[in-house]
Amino acid sequence: MKTITKLLPLVAASALALTACSSGSDDSGSGSGSSASGGNQKLAFVQGVAGDEFYVTMQCGIEAEAKKVGATVNTQGPAKFDPTLQKPIVDSVMASKPDAILIAPTDVSAMQAPLKAAADQGIKVVLVDTTVDDPSFAASQISSDNEGGGAAAFKAIQDLNPDGGKILIMSTDPGISTVDARVKGFETAAAKDEKFDYLGVQYSHNDTATAARLITAALAKNPDIVGVFATNTFSAAGTATGVRQADKQDQVKVVGFDAGPDQVGQLKDGTVQALIAQDPYEIGVDGVDQAMASLDGSEVTPTIQTGFHIITKDNVDGDGAQYLYKSSC
Amino acid sequence: MNSDMSAKNATADAVGVAADAAPSGELRSEAAVSPDASLMTAVESGGGLAGLARRIVKVQSFQILLVLVAISVVFSLLAPDTFPTWGNLRLVIQNVSILAVLGIGMTYVIITSGIDLSIGSVLVFSGVIAAKVMQSMGGDGWGTAIVGILVSIVCGILWGLLNGALIAKAKVPPLIVTLGTLSGALGLAQVITGGVDIREVPAVLSTNIGYGNIPGTTIPTISVIALVFLVIFGVVLHKTRYGLYTYAVGSNEESARRVGVKVDRHLITIYALSGFMAGVAGILSLAQYSTTAIAGQSNTSLAVIAAVVIGGTSLFGGIGTIFGTVVGLFIPAILQNGFVITGVQPFWQQVAIGAVLIVAVYIDQRRRAAASRANKTGKRSLAHLFRRSA
Amino acid sequence: MPSTTPILEARGLTRSFGAVRALDGADFDVHAGEVVALIGDNGAGKSTMVKALSGNLALDSGSILFNGEEVDLSSPSVASHMGIETVFQDLALAPHLTPPQNMYLGRELPAPGFLGKLGFLDNKTMRARSKVAFDELGATVRSYSSPVGSMSGGQRQAIAIARAVAWAKGVVFLDEPTAALGVVQTKAVLETIRKVRDKGVGVVFISHSMPHVIEVSDRVQVLRLGRRVATFQARDTTVEELVGAMTGALDAGAK
Repeated sequence: MKTITKLLPLVAASALALTACSSGSDDSGSGSGSSASGGNQKLAFVQGVAGDEFYVTMQCGIEAEAKKVGATVNTQGPAKFDPTLQKPIVDSVMASKPDAILIAPTDVSAMQAPLKAAADQGIKVVLVDTTVDDPSFAASQISSDNEGGGAAAFKAIQDLNPDGGKILIMSTDPGISTVDARVKGFETAAAKDEKFDYLGVQYSHNDTATAARLITAALAKNPDIVGVFATNTFSAAGTATGVRQADKQDQVKVVGFDAGPDQVGQLKDGTVQALIAQDPYEIGVDGVDQAMASLDGSEVTPTIQTGFHIITKDNVDGDGAQYLYKSSC
Repeated sequence: MNSDMSAKNATADAVGVAADAAPSGELRSEAAVSPDASLMTAVESGGGLAGLARRIVKVQSFQILLVLVAISVVFSLLAPDTFPTWGNLRLVIQNVSILAVLGIGMTYVIITSGIDLSIGSVLVFSGVIAAKVMQSMGGDGWGTAIVGILVSIVCGILWGLLNGALIAKAKVPPLIVTLGTLSGALGLAQVITGGVDIREVPAVLSTNIGYGNIPGTTIPTISVIALVFLVIFGVVLHKTRYGLYTYAVGSNEESARRVGVKVDRHLITIYALSGFMAGVAGILSLAQYSTTAIAGQSNTSLAVIAAVVIGGTSLFGGIGTIFGTVVGLFIPAILQNGFVITGVQPFWQQVAIGAVLIVAVYIDQRRRAAASRANKTGKRSLAHLFRRSA
Repeated sequence: MPSTTPILEARGLTRSFGAVRALDGADFDVHAGEVVALIGDNGAGKSTMVKALSGNLALDSGSILFNGEEVDLSSPSVASHMGIETVFQDLALAPHLTPPQNMYLGRELPAPGFLGKLGFLDNKTMRARSKVAFDELGATVRSYSSPVGSMSGGQRQAIAIARAVAWAKGVVFLDEPTAALGVVQTKAVLETIRKVRDKGVGVVFISHSMPHVIEVSDRVQVLRLGRRVATFQARDTTVEELVGAMTGALDAGAK
């Protein structure tokens, strides 16, 4: 019994140690003790999911720009793209009283009320990448021109399959504004070309294994699919895996959205033929600029749409390289 | 068969009358017992206040409470302006409420040495059906909302009954059954909705329950609802025959069976209770998030199981408290909240929560080893989660 | 004095486990207010007999009579409903529950009035009555609020016996009740057996200890190879005679 009671303070001590060591080593992130250095603003960045290269690249843009303007950033994110995990983080971030929150909401409805509450407390909210049902409380919204990105994805498939054929979209979950827009852009473009037979959307629920399973099933049903547009990182990775499992990598042209290290690897080994890269770094930079503008009281641009870049084997090592996502800054 | 039985009972009773003097005859102290004191004394007995205090200190849920206090003190020192404020704690409490409702059912289940992995999916399923029904009824008023509440609860109970029947009657191990319903309930929810979240939730639910406060206060309604359930089922667990049988089944199923506890029926009601709680949580989740969040709740079951175990409920059965579960929920919640406020990198939060969980299970192991030193039947392995004895 | 109709009687019980005939047409009888010792070498069928007579084992053939009427002891609860209680060698206590909770498990006293209807329990009375039962047995129960799993083997044995004895209205089976006990506790158990008998309960006492058997029993029935081979009046027999019947050396024993 005695050893057990002795153990318990260890837990508390380890919590302490973790806090101490990471606030010590985290040079750019920590917002706790750094408010002393003259009037700098505290920003918080809530990712859609922690550790994803898209959000890491965005974080890089945010941190670089924040450094430039003399602000600190506390970056947080849920382990999964899940509003039930993101809401407690937003609530905690709100309690830490930052001057502005940059956030990629994980659900248009679920994140509405918590973010509205933050805005009501006087915290400036900047929506990056994704949005919510009624973003009127937000200072600014910055995202990729996702419809344009979807259209570009169809353009890439057209280029790869001049003769047309059956095409499919591998999406994540319905209800994510950016993804819905990509799908819409793709569908609109596809409807204009009669050579292509659009088979509809499959939902991978942001899970690589599910995407792989769905694409193998779709190939079993329609063995002559020529093109797949995978709307985000995980869907693309799973689609590529599934196509390879079905041994159809010569026939099926996969166009991915996003340019994480996995996709770039797949592009280089020929499993994926084109990538539509967003510009998360620029989103992050713009996000900080708009947040600072809103804090300064200067002019704020309510919506900004950043561009996208088509990356193929030909330009991946050339002028496309700067648009590849980073796994660390 | 029936008439045969009653004949037997009659003879047994006849014998019983003659011999009945046995138990009652020995009970000379009966007159000294004041019956209305029964509620107060419960399981504790003699030894006075000092003994009581000593026992409380030994209870894991109390030790874990000290850990919670220690963590809170640390964060209060690190972030004195933001962490120890009502505004912050209020949000932590609000975010724990749905998990607390789920934790009630899970505590009962784990005390019987079972497990219920399906609650997250059952929550989503119940919410989806309730949202569908409310959508088709239309309206933003209480009438629609109450139907939705009932529908969600009924859905939860039905899944729980299915779990219980498969575990108790078909003798399928609880881990497998609830892994199956985890997948099945989520799959059906996706089939029913086509994977598209329903976002039409009556305004009365979200404004009054999801984000509302008790009128005149800043206490979240959703937390008060959770607290009411916690108190009711805490009392049931610790003070009633139903609770006692729950411990007995988890402690030694065979002995419970031999003394006439209807073990199978009890297990079915336990899983039905867990399903009921998932149904309640389903409607609370709808109210809180205004969406069915089909892709969400992915970590819910495991988060609740972790909290129950951190709170001192033994995965080996027979031990556990509702209070411990509540403390067990607050430890990860406070850790996450404090880490976010102090700007610790998100991945460390997972590490810390994992560490707390492992320490909690280690303590449980040590405690059971100490308790069973003189008891050769006390040794059990977690293998019971994978099988069910006939 | 034992009554004329046995309270519990077994006729021609047969039960095989694979090729092994654990019971091979075994007979047995016990009267109310009588202590019958059931003895036999290891594997003679004692434990199988006890299981069959307490509703814990299905039989291949044979009949069981309770107060002269044939009964179907299909489950332990049927047996316990008739007032047949058993203390098994493995005790079958719930290790996480306290002694009073084990004592009353399955027969809890409800709290008085409305609370009782809600399922609340009268813990104070149950504890007080348990204390009386334990004291009467001379069992030194260390704590009434600690789980029995934390107690010694002897203490748990005492609790298991006290539970069976307290509820047995017809017959109580005690399978090796003194095996794990010290001298004082053994004396107390034997004394308890007599007290229970004097209340008019039939006691079936299974033991390997011949002196204890002779000390406490009224009759001794010997099982060998799944059959009852001999019945002795305890006061007329000797340890040598019993051992002889058990091993088969005295096959022509007092039938």
